[in-house]
Amino acid sequence: MNYHDLAGRLVSRGRRLGAGEIEVYIQNSRNLSIQVRNADIETIQEAAAGGVGFRVLVDGSMGFSHCNDFSDKSLTETLERAIAFARLTTPDEHNVLPGEMPHTYVEGLYDPSIAAVSMDKKIEMALEVEALAMGDERITHSSGASFGEGDSEVIIANSRGMMKSYRASVCSVGVSVVAEKGDERHTGWEFSSRRNFGDLEPLDEIASRAAKKAWEMLDPRMVPTQRASVIFDPAVARSLLGGIIAAINGERVLQGASFLKDMMDERFASSLLTIIDDGTRPKGMSSKPFDGEGVPVGKRTLVEEGVLRGFLYNTQAARRAGTESTGNASRGGFTSLPGIGTHNLYVAAGRHTPEAIIANTNRGILLKGVTGYGINPVNGNYSGGATGFWIENGQIIHPVQGLTIAGAASDILNNIDMMGNDLDLNRSLAAPTFRISEMQIGGA
Amino acid sequence: MDSNHFSGRSLPRRKFLEYSLKGGLAIVAAPPLLSSVFSCSGPGRDILPALDMDKATLDRVIAKALAQGGDFADVYLESRNSRQIIMEESRFRSGLYGISQGAGVRVISGDKTGYAYTEDITEENLMRAAEVASYVARNSKLVTPVNIAEAERESFVTVVQPLEAIEDIKRIEMMERANQAALDYDPRIRMALIEYNDQVRSRVLATSEGVYLRDELPMLFFIVQTMSDDGTNRHMSRERISEHSGFELFEKETPESVARRAARESIAMLEAEDAPAGMMDVVMENGWGGVLIHEAVGHPLEADNIAKGIGAFTGKMGEKVATDLFTMVDDGTLPNFRGTINFDDEGTQAQRNVLIDKGVLQGYMTDILSARQLDLPRTGNGRRESFRHIPIPRMTNTFIEAGKDRPEDILADTKSGLFVQSLSGGSVNPVTGMFNFTCREAYLIENGRKTVPVKGATLIGSCLGVISSIDAVGNDLDFGPGICGKGQMAEVTAGQPTVRIRGINVGGSRA
Repeated sequence: MNYHDLAGRLVSRGRRLGAGEIEVYIQNSRNLSIQVRNADIETIQEAAAGGVGFRVLVDGSMGFSHCNDFSDKSLTETLERAIAFARLTTPDEHNVLPGEMPHTYVEGLYDPSIAAVSMDKKIEMALEVEALAMGDERITHSSGASFGEGDSEVIIANSRGMMKSYRASVCSVGVSVVAEKGDERHTGWEFSSRRNFGDLEPLDEIASRAAKKAWEMLDPRMVPTQRASVIFDPAVARSLLGGIIAAINGERVLQGASFLKDMMDERFASSLLTIIDDGTRPKGMSSKPFDGEGVPVGKRTLVEEGVLRGFLYNTQAARRAGTESTGNASRGGFTSLPGIGTHNLYVAAGRHTPEAIIANTNRGILLKGVTGYGINPVNGNYSGGATGFWIENGQIIHPVQGLTIAGAASDILNNIDMMGNDLDLNRSLAAPTFRISEMQIGGA
Repeated sequence: MDSNHFSGRSLPRRKFLEYSLKGGLAIVAAPPLLSSVFSCSGPGRDILPALDMDKATLDRVIAKALAQGGDFADVYLESRNSRQIIMEESRFRSGLYGISQGAGVRVISGDKTGYAYTEDITEENLMRAAEVASYVARNSKLVTPVNIAEAERESFVTVVQPLEAIEDIKRIEMMERANQAALDYDPRIRMALIEYNDQVRSRVLATSEGVYLRDELPMLFFIVQTMSDDGTNRHMSRERISEHSGFELFEKETPESVARRAARESIAMLEAEDAPAGMMDVVMENGWGGVLIHEAVGHPLEADNIAKGIGAFTGKMGEKVATDLFTMVDDGTLPNFRGTINFDDEGTQAQRNVLIDKGVLQGYMTDILSARQLDLPRTGNGRRESFRHIPIPRMTNTFIEAGKDRPEDILADTKSGLFVQSLSGGSVNPVTGMFNFTCREAYLIENGRKTVPVKGATLIGSCLGVISSIDAVGNDLDFGPGICGKGQMAEVTAGQPTVRIRGINVGGSRA
């Protein structure tokens, strides 16, 4: 099937059926998932899937419908549903579709060679990464290893002349193991996920990181409730960044549901904090030539040395705010309307090694795991469960688990006093190791 | 990595493609652009003609699936029609309508599972899926499938006003009523977000054991969030109602009552002070607080990790794991409840399963695979989000049985601590048993009385620790609806009477 032709035809059909403006979003995907455990296959799942989402505007009111059946009859019925639904919603002058714009070229998003690798080889990789992790004598059980791959093509067309598409792939290999001592159990998991098959990390490195995560937590001890330094490992940066991203979501800001709503061009964090969103990084796991409604993506500084420099907008929210889309329309596939989200978001690296940050810490926790919802974007309240390592006089002295950490976002972010140099941009939400000079820790 | 996540937020608008190790212990997230592959789509109208595949064809597909060997095979056909209407800032922001259909073929051979699905339900595509799924059974012994025949299953869902017969204008009216009631509650309520969802899910199931089943389940899910702002503080709260039900749900509980409950919390929490940090006694109000044991005990009692020998409750069957006061049940038969399933997605009749009886571990929740692996009965807990997923052990309606204490006596008998009135949600690592959940509305307890409200704090602990620390159980069992994520989504309820936990770590921001 030629999806460009189909998308074009559906735009015309939508107009004929009564849509003032229409966007057709088609997505087709293929994926494979292999799970192994105890040196044997556990699950193999394979699927190809696709569907269409219709966003229509009728006299300024918006309706949306989707279906995964490409028959002519279903497509027409689904279109009619969107148009009928639009008549129910409230007209809004900000409901507009973006026009055709040239898009960014991003290299390395699609690797056709993944699909060409044999099934046996992929199974072999999952078996090998498990065997390597189990080879560590401190590991007692496997909870499984996996190989996964997928690729997806997105086509967006609209009645303002847009017609564009791109294709992207992903593959990953990972393992999860358990270390035990009496009734005490710890899990360690690790994976490598890349756009290109050839860029996957060596299996022995993945395996040894997973094993270490499990055994290094054995024999945790409790510490008393106190105020102390908190060092965020790169793996737990999401716990703080997620709430900041939600608070600079342009729509939340317009609704007044953000602790950063009045902070544009104001300092709200330590000058060590610079945050950049980059949709154009070659081979980036969240790179793309255009966003969820076809607007080109770029590279933007959102926070500059502690000063808020940018909110995130899709076309509708931008129009309401009296500005232009920032290319941050997100899309959960063909079944959903455009929301607002980031691409490859990272905290700019500082100058300290992680070792130097630990060595400079008198008393505190090196955080390896955080649970909870992170910063509450509405009021900036932060509270979470914490696991990691206790530091005294610049030395790690034992693992800790079952602690809590909490504070107000404004205090936490202003108290960032050391920024690491260990930034790994292969994560789509990345930060180096950084330290908060003092936070409340809950313990015994 | 905490993998079993009981989402306190509304259904995620975007969901990442996940390659999860079975049981969800490790999840590798791929970028969002691939998300539609595994994303939960909506819709369902009439049972679509595609589900009308004749039994002889299904027999052929099952025979093909077992042609290379294997112990069990099934075919699952599904169609779903869904609606979602969103009202924000007093405007009807969007209306979504979705149609989704597809079918999957599964083969179990020993401990192995093969699965493939198609969205275009034809015999040819099903035969191809059967061939892909049979890959895992190569070189195993051959079995002869039993020809399928209609099976009998009891239903626990009754519908008075079918959703298909309701005009959209009626849905809009319920939303407007909720919005108005929220804004009228107090001038400091600045915004209400009203989300109306309904769907009709039709499924057809055929197995190599000869079972053929077909049914259709409606679901209504109505969510009201309100935000208060007094110029200094802000608080967002959320109330939800949901049942397998027709539109009559709004007669049992009016949109106004849902909205006022949300608005009450938003206003009360404007006065919130910093929560204290560290170990303290916690009294949890009845109802949705059941998410605590859903996380802390429910997930670790799902049999998949037990079968792997790594679950926190491995090897503890028949042992005393909690106090005498503690009885915990998972029951997929409660009339019209959100977690009720009639039969699970493998065809097993739903039932009441007592998991922990007066502190003694009595049962795990199984699907067909884990029941075979552990030589245990099938409990009717093999559920799947859609045809895009394989069944795994999941909870249905999970709760702590009512005790004898009056809730007011439990509070009066607690000298100091935290009174938790509502929770956002939580998660657990089912291997280590470490869980967490986040308070949305909570108060200090001082000398047996609820006093000042405190800001949302995370509570954490270990599953075995928490159930042996429950020392008071009220007589006021109640339930709340939720969404449970374990690599795939499931509709559940969680319930409990008022309970007291002696000593839990609270993530407050002051000493």
